[in-house]
Amino acid sequence: MDLIFLTELAINGALTGLLYSLFAIGLVLIYKASSVPNLAQGGLTMLAAYVVLALARDVGMPLWVAIPLAALLMFGLGFGIERVALRRLAGRPVIMILMMTLGLDIFLRGATLAIWGGTSRSVELGVGYDPLLLGDIFISRIHLVGAAVAIALFGAFLVFFRSRTGIKLRAIADDYMASWSVGISVERGVGLSWALASVVAVAAGVIWGEIQGVDQALSLLLLKGLTVAVLGGLDSILGAIIAGIILGIVENVGAEFLDPLVGGGSRELIVAAVLILTVMIRPHGLFGRHDIERV
Amino acid sequence: MTLKRHIRTAALAATLTAGALGASAQEKEPIRFGLCFDISKSYSFVSPQVAQAAQDLAMYTNDNGGIGGHPVEIIVRDHGNEPQRGVECYEQLKRDGVFIFYFLSTPVTNAVLPRAMKDQTILMQNFTGRGDAVDGSVFEWVFPIGPSYWQQAANAVSFVKGQLGGDLEGRKIGFIYLDYPFGQEPIEILRTLSKKEGFDLELYPVPLPGSDQSGAWSKIRRDKPDYVISWLLAGGHVVASREMRRNQFPIDRYITSNWLNEVDIVNIGLQEAKGLLRTTNVAGGQDVPIVQTMLETYYAKGKGSGPENLVRDVYYNTGLAILAPGLEAARIAIEKHGSPLTPESMKDGFESIVEFDANGLMAPLTVTAEDHGGGGKTRIEQWDGETWVPLTDWSADYLDVVWEVIKENSSKYE
Repeated sequence: MDLIFLTELAINGALTGLLYSLFAIGLVLIYKASSVPNLAQGGLTMLAAYVVLALARDVGMPLWVAIPLAALLMFGLGFGIERVALRRLAGRPVIMILMMTLGLDIFLRGATLAIWGGTSRSVELGVGYDPLLLGDIFISRIHLVGAAVAIALFGAFLVFFRSRTGIKLRAIADDYMASWSVGISVERGVGLSWALASVVAVAAGVIWGEIQGVDQALSLLLLKGLTVAVLGGLDSILGAIIAGIILGIVENVGAEFLDPLVGGGSRELIVAAVLILTVMIRPHGLFGRHDIERV
Repeated sequence: MTLKRHIRTAALAATLTAGALGASAQEKEPIRFGLCFDISKSYSFVSPQVAQAAQDLAMYTNDNGGIGGHPVEIIVRDHGNEPQRGVECYEQLKRDGVFIFYFLSTPVTNAVLPRAMKDQTILMQNFTGRGDAVDGSVFEWVFPIGPSYWQQAANAVSFVKGQLGGDLEGRKIGFIYLDYPFGQEPIEILRTLSKKEGFDLELYPVPLPGSDQSGAWSKIRRDKPDYVISWLLAGGHVVASREMRRNQFPIDRYITSNWLNEVDIVNIGLQEAKGLLRTTNVAGGQDVPIVQTMLETYYAKGKGSGPENLVRDVYYNTGLAILAPGLEAARIAIEKHGSPLTPESMKDGFESIVEFDANGLMAPLTVTAEDHGGGGKTRIEQWDGETWVPLTDWSADYLDVVWEVIKENSSKYE
């Protein structure tokens, strides 16, 4: 195998991995505040893409208006989910909250199917599909745009978590009982994390919707997003970025070697192996806090 | 309505309702078709169109006297592409007296098939399920009318052979597919043809749901296949079209299965899709007489079974092509054996279909006790930026090779 081809696989894998990171950031945000992996993040991403399309296609807004407006609506929805569904579960076992997010995911998939049907719709961001050439290496422009959005969001959250509100969220993540006792509104903090994760879902939904079309299949991003979040450390945004790049490269390059040996299907095996090995060997992931341990 | 269209409509009505005894279609026992579909999950991009077409065709048949005076009843249920729910749907409808079924899902059809064989009920299996079920000598109660995926793939290879000067020796054909049973189905026949014709077969598996194809197309660019045959679905084609642009692979060397519709073309872009090739056994578009009839008889008056935009989708035509042979089989059965329709007479009705094309809707079908597929004819169509242009006549190629594989597989069924 020639080096140039291997490099191309690695670069495109890294870019795809950053798109997984874009999704995984939403998972991390919620985990940081409530210590629950949000199984509805796939559903939220799918819903966000549908909302953007509804505003752009059905209402007739230009995309540059539809996307921020959808972000605003999803921000409100995130708060609403915390207020209506999650607040009453405070103090209950984590498994109940987990089941709630699973139920929410199923509900969102059913609701979008009932409202918009199962037909795939395209986003049409206007990004060209002719290749970007780096010497002999062909790069996908939309993947490059998506990777840039992921890194920009990472930067934005880096700044945010140094702000007063961000520090409060970090305090909640550290010890919500102590946060309560010093007057920090834990409910508002958790609500804010859901709201921010819903805004991240808009970014992920638009980019992934542009790549694969908008339909119920968008919610299937959860498996890879979750793998990235677990590998990076469920409470680390930096971890999500690095893990996305690693998973993307390992998946893309690894499949090139494994597919001919096993007759295809090795990508799913690689993702599953990464998830299992992470949980077995390093349950707190690459950059996660060490209190996430095996029981 | 033009005189020509009047004649076409009359011919269609005669085709579908000949044998009507003049009695009201409501007076006799209905002929019931149980359609257990995935309306809520993986196949929701196609099942509404197919169900709507079936309901329209049943309505039209009933408005013209039914079949031998029997009204046609379409019962639609959701199985969510879950085999267990499909089996439950089958059992429930069977208890209600239904004995003609269609599931529009390979895993569900495969789960139901042994029961249908044991119960001796009619299992329509158009475009789904195991390819060897066309062997009527083994699968007596299963009717995969239309081309199996094996035959479709063989016909696509034959087209490529024609395009490459009639010789595939030393050539390269790529096969990009969703890496699960639907996509894997044609691999065996492609391998067999690769040995027979001497071309290199390159496989490019794509994980579900088909959004991650960057590695596959980078390899395709490097391997430089002469043509790529595609067993992807819905958004997978859109991703493929963009990867083709990125990797500078010409779209007029990309041949899809029948599962590519107008929505996919719009999502790819009408002009960007120009040149794309599709293998099909159904005439697309609205200029097909039976589709025109539905539009004028029902949709122009707001009486269709669903939204009109679904009629303007090749999957609607596919839905008509799925039910029409069933109605024709019922018509023949009642004509030959009288009422009431039974599984045995329906089976004989299917096996007596000769050169049936539902007035230009599909490739002519001739079903026999040996060949339950009806001949497996398809043609290649090309998107010209506005519409599909047929590039070939209806034909079924490599029949000997395909049947060899069919027999080899069907002989293992117990």
